[in-house]
Amino acid sequence: MKLDFKKIAILVCGGLFSGFVNGFLGGGGGVLIVTLLLWILQLQQKEAQATALLIVLPLTIVSAIVYFVEGNVSWTETLLTTLGVVAGGIVGALLLGKLNGNVVKLIFALVLVAGGIKMFL
Amino acid sequence: MNNWLLVLFGFLSGIIGGMGMGGGTLLVPLLSFLDMSQKTVQAINLISFLPMCIVALCFHSKNHLVQKQHVGWIIVPAVLSAIAGALLTQHTENKVLKICFGVFLVAVGIWQLVLSIKAMVQSKNKGSCPTKQ
Repeated sequence: MKLDFKKIAILVCGGLFSGFVNGFLGGGGGVLIVTLLLWILQLQQKEAQATALLIVLPLTIVSAIVYFVEGNVSWTETLLTTLGVVAGGIVGALLLGKLNGNVVKLIFALVLVAGGIKMFL
Repeated sequence: MNNWLLVLFGFLSGIIGGMGMGGGTLLVPLLSFLDMSQKTVQAINLISFLPMCIVALCFHSKNHLVQKQHVGWIIVPAVLSAIAGALLTQHTENKVLKICFGVFLVAVGIWQLVLSIKAMVQSKNKGSCPTKQ
């Protein structure tokens, strides 16, 4: 697939925006990057999700280094949460395909809105 | 008590992350129930994402799902702006960061809600079973 100037410009601008969000908010860039990959590079949903990880990994590493240098990292809390995330990740990967994807997405979207409102309170 | 909550909150968001739906977006609001600054929460979110990301990436690479063509156009500007964003965080009050994250979550949540309802309507119209992810 050949890219024209317009598509390259959208990829660069989208990259700038999602990278900034990921660094500034400590996450959330992946959702934006998946959309960019689906829209501009016309990847399949699963390819877009997998490829987004390749893009988010370096962003997360450089952002984490900045947070670490600035003294924002508490290692005990980080380690405990990471243990939970890894265990949950395995369960989530096993559950994938066994649940109705659309229903799970709908519930997840509602949880996001509720979580967002909670941040204001 | 807090230690168990950290593991539990990590576990819950890990399930969502393992299903490929961005667990980090759930971890941040969950951790905000605990007595920690927003910057610490964001640092936890970034670091706890790394091991799962690396494992998932190895797995997806084996299955030839990772498409490397053209991604440099996104990675290079994104890395540079991620550094700028992370530096800006250091000069932003925790309260402001929390509000920004809240706005981002509500926006993404509504957007995902619209997408999932659209997908459900489409699969119903086709008269087939809803697509499984």
